[in-house]
Amino acid sequence: MASVLGVLTDPHATASAIRKLRGAGFTDLDSYSPIPSHEIEEAMDRGPSRVRTWTLIGCLVGVTLGFLMTIWMSYDYPIIVGGKPYASIPPYTVIGFELNILFGGVLTVLGLMFHGMFLNRVDSGAYRPNFSGDQFGCVVNCGANDVERVEKLLRESGCTEVRVVEGA
Amino acid sequence: MAAITEPIPATADQYNDDILRVLAPPSPLYVITVLLLAGMVGAGVAALAYQTYWGMGVAGLQNPVFWGVYITTFVFWVGIAHAGTLISAILFLFRAKWRNAINRGAEAMTVFAVMTAALFPLIHIGRIWKFYFMIPYPNQRGLWTNFKSPLEWDVFAVNTYATISILFFFVGLIPDLAAARDRVSDWRRYLYGALALGWRGTAEQWRAHSRAVLHLSGLATPLVLSVHSVVSWDFAMSVVPGWHTTIFAPYFVAGAIFSGMAMVVTVMVPVRKAFGLEGYIRMEHFDNMGKFIVLTSTIVGYAYAVEYFMAWYSANPYEQMSFWHRAFGDYWWATWIMISCNVVVPLPLWIKKVRLNIPFFWVLTIFINIGMWFERYVIITTGLSHEYSPAAWGYYTPSWVELTILAASFGFFLMFFLIFLRMFPIIAIQEVKELHYEGHHEGGAH
Repeated sequence: MASVLGVLTDPHATASAIRKLRGAGFTDLDSYSPIPSHEIEEAMDRGPSRVRTWTLIGCLVGVTLGFLMTIWMSYDYPIIVGGKPYASIPPYTVIGFELNILFGGVLTVLGLMFHGMFLNRVDSGAYRPNFSGDQFGCVVNCGANDVERVEKLLRESGCTEVRVVEGA
Repeated sequence: MAAITEPIPATADQYNDDILRVLAPPSPLYVITVLLLAGMVGAGVAALAYQTYWGMGVAGLQNPVFWGVYITTFVFWVGIAHAGTLISAILFLFRAKWRNAINRGAEAMTVFAVMTAALFPLIHIGRIWKFYFMIPYPNQRGLWTNFKSPLEWDVFAVNTYATISILFFFVGLIPDLAAARDRVSDWRRYLYGALALGWRGTAEQWRAHSRAVLHLSGLATPLVLSVHSVVSWDFAMSVVPGWHTTIFAPYFVAGAIFSGMAMVVTVMVPVRKAFGLEGYIRMEHFDNMGKFIVLTSTIVGYAYAVEYFMAWYSANPYEQMSFWHRAFGDYWWATWIMISCNVVVPLPLWIKKVRLNIPFFWVLTIFINIGMWFERYVIITTGLSHEYSPAAWGYYTPSWVELTILAASFGFFLMFFLIFLRMFPIIAIQEVKELHYEGHHEGGAH
């Protein structure tokens, strides 16, 4: 198994290189980009991020907790305020809404950390500081026999530099 | 520090150079300014210590006005916070690309303004060490908080807002922290490296990041509308004449965006000049912010008119008395400062030339900030000083303790903002760079 890195200078060329490599049957790919690019995301064709599930779960837990907490506490310490029932739903909607947002937001960030950082914590060794500046990278994991073919494809896609990543 | 010579950076890498250059060692003027602001905060801490030792009697809060400068300033700073979320979340959802150059500064303002605002309910309760009574926690007395009270809603709203603002701010900052990590070579490399959480800009990281930013924007948008609505209900849910009105929620939200946008201009104009960011924060930004200010000023002016109309149309003598007192009674001067600064002063901004005259625009925004502080002061003091019974009427004058703490709040906000400026990228590098690649720049430079 080998990893080949191609360095590009713009997101359109990077997306085009990814499409070309995928078309040639190389699907074990990754990319480095200094900006979020829908074009690269579409070329990778991985579908929507699982972060959305985290948000949904957070929102549902938050709103449920908001109502359950307020209703239970109202009966645990029963006192009539303003002639309203012990548990009065309209004012508790505010708490339910706020906790919906709070839990949804916190779980969204935890989802980002899990999918974006934790599951991505090991680098192939191809990262270089310019990938946060003005360069884009396309990393292809392939069999040792395919290295030459991948290098050729990357050069054809406009890579300014192509090299086999050491220690991958 | 030399200004950026090119109005628009020529290469993507120049964005990193220009924006991260702000992180260079500070100038003596910067250090002196931060120390002066720290001195203001110190004076505020001393005044607070004095109040804590002697009790709330040293504040001007006397019967019948028990909400004064502290609650005014709380509402003021919560309002200031709103522009950041508007720019970063709402304009993001509307795909308003011009926001990219100013959203980081506005988000930072949101975080520091909420931090400042959160101090005031604590200062106001007097016995600061009892603050945890506001939080529902299991205790041996078997008590729970009163969730029917708007004040308790506020605890949840403001804490949620603070948490979500900080998370949103941090998530947007992660790719730029990685850019800073890759540029600096001193001890800050470790700080940025730790905060960047191993960011490398891989496809999977951007996929998760884009989704997270989208969802946080979707959550923050109703949140920002709810927070100032809840703050307005602190007043509107009561039966005090002048407070008990259904227009309060939209009126407060518009007022918050109005004051917040004005504060963005007040703060960003000197920052733009001092750090030579003219190539990033451009005339179109001032033009658009001016339009926002005009729009929200008009809504606020309309709300003022509706309040008076409803007082007259309701035929409710208490309501009519309250608004008569507001305009021509003891606090007439505060009311007319409020109306002049919030309705009359922004009128020149209808003209594009004025919006593009930055020094003049900057002065206008200072008046707007003053006007918006007075708006809350007028609502609170006129409402409480003239309630139903003439025997219980009174007049509120802030004490030196309250005014010192008010001044210190500005020192607190600006001090944190200045420290942030030197520590983190003030402009969202990856977002302005995105525009570079999309060719959205003026004149089609790319």
